Amino acid sequence: ASEVSEAQTTDSDEIITPVSQKHPKADSEKMCIEIVSLAFYPEAEVMCDESIKQVYVEYRFYDLPLSETETPVSLRKPRAGEEIHFHFSKVIDLDPLEQKGRRQFLFAVLTGQDPERGHLRFTVVSDPMAEEEKECQEVGYAFLELWPVMDSGRDILERELDVVSPEDQSTPIGRLKVSLQAAAALQAIYKEMTGDLFS
Amino acid sequence: MREPEEMVPDSGAVFTFGKTKFAENTPSKFWFKNDIPIYLSCGDEHTAIITGNNKLFMFGCNNWGQLGLGSKSTVSKPTCVKALKQEKVKFAACGRNHTLVSTEGGKVYAAGGNNEGQLGLGDTEERNTFHLVSFFTSQHKIKQLSAGSNTSAVLTEDGELFMWGDNSEGQIGLNNITNVCVPHQVTVGKPISWISCGYYHSAFITTEGELYTFGEAECGKLGLPPELLVNHKVPQLVPGIPEKVIQVACGGGHTVVLTENAVYSFGLGQFGQLGLGTFIFETSEPRIIDDIKDQKISHISCGENHTALITDIGLMYTFGDGRHGKLGLGLENFTNQFVPTLCSNFLRFIIQLVACGGCHMLVFATPRLDMLEDNDSDE
Ligand SMILES: [Mg+2]
Ligand SMILES: [Mg+2]
Repeated sequence: ASEVSEAQTTDSDEIITPVSQKHPKADSEKMCIEIVSLAFYPEAEVMCDESIKQVYVEYRFYDLPLSETETPVSLRKPRAGEEIHFHFSKVIDLDPLEQKGRRQFLFAVLTGQDPERGHLRFTVVSDPMAEEEKECQEVGYAFLELWPVMDSGRDILERELDVVSPEDQSTPIGRLKVSLQAAAALQAIYKEMTGDLFS
Repeated sequence: MREPEEMVPDSGAVFTFGKTKFAENTPSKFWFKNDIPIYLSCGDEHTAIITGNNKLFMFGCNNWGQLGLGSKSTVSKPTCVKALKQEKVKFAACGRNHTLVSTEGGKVYAAGGNNEGQLGLGDTEERNTFHLVSFFTSQHKIKQLSAGSNTSAVLTEDGELFMWGDNSEGQIGLNNITNVCVPHQVTVGKPISWISCGYYHSAFITTEGELYTFGEAECGKLGLPPELLVNHKVPQLVPGIPEKVIQVACGGGHTVVLTENAVYSFGLGQFGQLGLGTFIFETSEPRIIDDIKDQKISHISCGENHTALITDIGLMYTFGDGRHGKLGLGLENFTNQFVPTLCSNFLRFIIQLVACGGCHMLVFATPRLDMLEDNDSDE
């Protein structure tokens, strides 16, 4: 019986939608990172390395445990010309009161005062099969620079980043597709940290 | 604070996931005053709901007039199609950009895009209101409707199948014609018991439980061995399923089949929509989805790139493309699922109906009243 008082009718008067308790967060108080897909170049060494059978992708973000920032599954290593699709998206809370540390971390990345000098680093990891007694092995890195996102105010939609091997960061071995919705948050963070006087 | 599911009335609610246009595409729910849904259908970006009072409600994208509401503006709330109020609407099928409905009296109406004649009205002019497909009369007792990307199908209780619209890939089973604008019978000489139109391929089942597929042949979605693909424009028996087939659902590039004992899938599974794990992203050979082998599945539904299964005890498993939350597995953190994944949000519900669309999914579920009582007594 209580549901009627907690609900409101629409103008059609036939459909009842409960009043939402949730207030969607403002764009400046969250960001979303999506690891979309991965492909390797046919000539890349990783393609002929038969010990690499499946891979996942991870990144590090301040206080978030890796279990939240790695793709929850490993996928079969892509074949020549094939793309494997994770579609792993994560919304990161950047509440100005509760997540000051994350906002300071992003400011440090924006201004290049972080270990990756202004980039988010994505790591492609070879995940040994369950029956193998081997360690996970990093097989590639991809870097996403944050400053241009803030500077342009434009989110990134399915951008292909070069994947380079850990040993030789000058030769691309594949492409990692990522999306980043963060422009509004990065601009707000930059403004609040620099006390932008011009706005 | 009360759990949100406790707000759902005993008669249940419709739950929306993904890009539905409802509630700004956030996971949401609604229910009807003194009415319940009895049938759901999702197109590429629009949705139809039929209620127990035989009313038709539509919402979603409307670029082609596919909501049949007399305009082409997007509709974000389920809206009753008043023009059909005199009719008792029984079934609906949402295609990529058009809609078919049928009535208890055996009438068929169509609205929306019509560039391939998929409205069955003898021309290729789009319509933003429902128009009667005059081919069907009260003599046709309609059992099922289906609609794909510019294709339409009506199956009768007698086992007669009629299809029309785009035939560029043979997806309405006619060998040498690009499209037809009026219903055309498709037959293999045996009565047919189930039809499903995918985006560019189609499948039906005979009353004997044999599966036939036709249409676009790429990526294994017809489930046929290579030597049969040359004839992909006519219905061919899928040989790889040694059991009686009960239901088939065609998605964008994949096909899912329910037999008496198992669920099979084939075609494209790059996002996990085959449910065959993280190593098989394509197969032309029908394969059993092992992960739900212990479950008795009662219903299957395919969207463009995702799949939903309902079990006999009203649980739901989803898999495939997780974007926009269309798998119903979470609020904002999404990922592709490569094996059937239990929608644990619904553990306290009985899933009654599910329909998967292009980037969305609708579920009608009723509370498990016995469980709610158990919980109350624990408090
Ligand atoms: Mg891991
Ligand atoms: Mg993990």
